This record gives sequence, C-alpha cells and structure tokens, in this order.
Amino acid sequence: MGNFATLQPGGRPLVRFYLAFMLWFVGRAIQAAALVDPNVRKEFNDLPDDFSFSLGAAFNGPQMAIGKDSNGKVKYLGKNSNIVPQVKITIKSMEALFLLFTFRESTPVANSRERMTVEGNLSHACACVRILDIVQVYLLPKPIAKLAIKRYPKWSLKKHTINRLLINLRAIIGF
Amino acid sequence: MHLPEYYEFCCTVKTVAGHDVLESIPELLSKMNSKKTMIITDKGVELAGLVKIVTDAISENIEIGAIESDVPPDSDVRVVNNLSKIYVKNGCDSIIAVGGGSVLDTAKGVNIIVSENSDDLMKFTGAGALKRKLRPLVAVPTTSGTGSEVTSVAVIADPERNKKMAFSSLYLLPDIAVLDSRMTLTLPDFLTSQTAMDALTHAAEAYTCLSKNPVSDIHAINAIKLITENLLNVIKNPTDKEGRLALATAANIAGMSFSNSMVGMVHTLGHSIGAVCHVPHGTCMSILLPYGLEYNMHKTGEYTGELLYPLAGDKVYSKTPKSKRPEKAIEYIRDLNQKLCDATDGRHPVCLKDVLDRDGNMMVPEDKLPEIAKTALGDGSIFYNPEELDFDDILKVLKFAWSGEKLDRSLWIHKNSFKNQESL
Repeated sequence: MGNFATLQPGGRPLVRFYLAFMLWFVGRAIQAAALVDPNVRKEFNDLPDDFSFSLGAAFNGPQMAIGKDSNGKVKYLGKNSNIVPQVKITIKSMEALFLLFTFRESTPVANSRERMTVEGNLSHACACVRILDIVQVYLLPKPIAKLAIKRYPKWSLKKHTINRLLINLRAIIGF
Repeated sequence: MHLPEYYEFCCTVKTVAGHDVLESIPELLSKMNSKKTMIITDKGVELAGLVKIVTDAISENIEIGAIESDVPPDSDVRVVNNLSKIYVKNGCDSIIAVGGGSVLDTAKGVNIIVSENSDDLMKFTGAGALKRKLRPLVAVPTTSGTGSEVTSVAVIADPERNKKMAFSSLYLLPDIAVLDSRMTLTLPDFLTSQTAMDALTHAAEAYTCLSKNPVSDIHAINAIKLITENLLNVIKNPTDKEGRLALATAANIAGMSFSNSMVGMVHTLGHSIGAVCHVPHGTCMSILLPYGLEYNMHKTGEYTGELLYPLAGDKVYSKTPKSKRPEKAIEYIRDLNQKLCDATDGRHPVCLKDVLDRDGNMMVPEDKLPEIAKTALGDGSIFYNPEELDFDDILKVLKFAWSGEKLDRSLWIHKNSFKNQESL
C-alpha cells in the first residue's frame, strides 16, 4: 500500500505542439485580419479600448491572447500573456481543442456539446466568435471551413483572393 | 431520436408541486439551516394577494426578516443592489422569491451579491463567473412561463448601457421550486397565454436547437403536450386548479429542458426586443416562435415536424405526411396564437406592430428594428441557433414578424446553406 507512482497530468507533446502552433497562427491571423478585413476591423472598433480576449485549453493547455490598445490597434499578445483578459474562452480539455482544430467538430457543435466555457461579457464574446469565424474562412480551404462554421459566407473575389493572401502572409511574417 | 456524441444534463432543484404545498416551505428551509428569510416579490403579486397567501402559509414556522416588493417588470441591477443591502441589514439567511421571471432573476442577482459578499453584480456576468454554492433560495413562481425556478441563468437589465446582462452558472439554480396552484389562479387571461407561450417556446427551441439531447427532449415533449392540452381550457375557465397546475408543471419541465439544451434565435430576437422596446418577454416569444422555426427549417425541419405530435395529437400527426409535418406544426402554433388573441380580446398580439402599451401606443416602431437587430448580435443564445444569423438576416426576420406575414424563405435562397438539407 502507498507504493505507487504519482501520475502527472500532461503528456501528448505532439498534440500540445500542434495546438500551440494553431493558436499562434490563428492569433497572428486575427491581428492581420484586423488590418485587412473591414468586418473584423468593425468588430474590434465596437469593442471597448484596452479590450482583450484569450482562447485556449483548460488545465494548463496552450493559450493565446489578443488585445486592442487605447489607439484601437489589435495585437497578438502571445501564449503567456500576463494580462487578465476581459473575455476568456476556454475549451474544457486539450482533446476537445484538438477535435476543434482538426475540424472534426465545428465551433457551434463544440459549443453545443458544452466543450467550451466563456467568462466575461457575453456580447463581447459573441463578437470574438464572429471574428474567429471570419478568420477561419480566410485561413482554411472552403471544404474544411464549411466544417468549422455554420454557414460559409458569400464573399467577393477580392476577399477570397487578395485579402486571403494578405492575411496569410501577414500571419506568417508577423506584420 | 437524436443521440449526440456528447451531452450534459443537470437539474439539482427539488420540485414540490400540488394544490397546497406552500406550507412545506419552512420545513424545507430548516433543512438548509435557514432561520430568517427574505421574501422578494413585485407590486402586482402583492396587490393580487399572493404574498399574503405565502406569509399565511409559512409565518408560523419561520421568521420573515423582510418583504420587499420593489421589483420592476424588467430585473434591474440597481434594484438588485438595493435589495441586497436590505437582506444584509435585516440579518436574513435565505430568500423566497415569489413572482414571475423578473422577480426570480432579481432574487438570483441578490443571492449572488449576498453570497459573494460583493457590491458589484456586474463582476459576475457571463458564464462560469460563480465558483461556489450560493445561499438558500426558494422559488415560488406566480406565472407559468419562465421556468426560472429550475434554470441556471438570470437576465438582469443594466439601464446605463441599455442592455440585458446574462448570468449563467449551475450555482444559480434555486434549491427548491414550489409549484402551488393557488399562485396562478388569479393570473389574467392575457398573461396566462403569453407566459404559457413562453414555456412552449422554451420547449420547442430546446427540442430543435443545437444542444438537444434525449433527456431534454423528453422534458420538452411533455411540456408541449401539457400546454396544448390545457392552455385554452384554462383561458376559458381560469379557476381550473388542475389545469393551472398542469401549466405550472409544463413551465417547470420546459425550464429544465431549455436550461440544459439552451435556446436559439427566438430568444436572441426576443431578448433584444425586450431590451430596446421593453416588450414583455412572453409576448415576444409567442410572436417570434413560428418565425424561428421557419428560419431554421432547412436544418431542423425533421425535429420541428416531430413537434406536431405533442402539439396536435396523434390523429393529426399520423394523418400528416412526414414532409408536411414541419409546416403543419408551425401552422398549428400560428393558429394557437390566433385563438389566444381572440380569447383575450386582442391582448395576445400575433405580430410586433400590434404590441401596444397601456396608453395604446405602438411599442415596437418599425424604425427600431435595426437597433434591435444590432443588439441581437450580442445575445449569447445566438450560439445555439442551428443556422447562422447576421445583421441582415435578423432584420429581415424582424420585418416579417413586425408585419405578421409568414417568413418568405426564398429571400435566403442565395445563401449557400439554405439550399442544403445537411444538418450540423
């Protein structure tokens, strides 16, 4: 009795790496989309100054945060931000976030299955989800994006080509 | 039956129901170590003599520290703060909420402040902000609609921002729900009809929206059956105690259902009309329910069709071809609204332009629709609606609901998903 190894939470380093990479890329893409896409810019303009939100997995899973400064500039704040976000979207486990980021479960279905919790002002959280939906359409090919959101939008050719290219480029080079 | 890969269902509320069950409240409170309770109610409930029925039933066996009836029709953060001060000052250790949705939501707000020892309710908005059990709360509904007595949410207005703030946590579930037929016997016909349609909407949206699951489905179906079997009879015969108890039970189990399955666009739009134009919630629900079901029909028509069974009964259901059941169910709801409108001399409006205030003024002017649509985009229930809703979608639906015309679904045909029959 009493002679047993303590099991530490964690593990699955490849999953953790994949999720951290996806969050990093989505975070930088949101920063880029705020410059390129008028709808994303409008969503951020309607949010209060110094607003920030985070997205990540519970139990020390990977995280990312996005902030808007007092000049209205949207910035990706990284994975270990010290700020306390006004809206915190937490996926209940790394496995649930993995389902989401491998597009086996759409955001609305994940939400309906109680896989995420939202802390903070709900109307601001709604704006964050709309921003995430738009950015997913920019980042993903249409067949995959259709799995991630409720309705694939009808966009102009410019949005589908030039804006998409700009956002992906800016997300890669971080500018 | 729809069986999701994953679902959750939780209702920890003890429901006590019958024709004379108020008398059991002191014993139930004593089991939770409560010695001094505060009654929160509103002026209408007090004037209707319902508070006296409650105090007569309980005062011999428990000390009542305060009876406060200053709750407005829409729960208000300022009132919550004032009542919390009275609770603390009078040394109360539990709350009995006697009233409709706003009273119960106000009581939940007060319970947050006194249990968390805070002076700022807004710190607890959203989901998951509460981390521990609150103090004892007994809910005695006086309408058969909101189901607040078994829901884990509260909606409280913030007048400074002209917004309704939502609070969501399992800790907001009351400890006890007391359904006593005496509490709804004097409810006027138009309030009976509107609140019952609110309950019907809870059940219909719980059954057709994204978080539906087998446990909430069973509650939803039974709630709809109880409402359609009893509502018109109760409107014609208001003193029908059995019918009143059936409606109270329907609201209760519809509340259990939607508290777990959540609701969709009917509530998204209804909350916003309430916030912008101060239209009673039940009125919004009864008007908007057919439009919500119509808008989502390409995704959830199968579930809407299944509602025809509890709505219209087995004969109509079996005679109607499967493909026609969704439209028939919606038609049944529109017919029910019209019958309720006729039975209440027009006080159960069937379209938004017909909603009038006490002075006969239109409560939802057409030029307010864009503001309502913008507000709706910030309502959390939009997440649970099967189909996407943007500003233009909401505005179009509102225009139909305003005029009372059936939704013209061909207006959405250019949007990809309206062509598809795929389900999420």
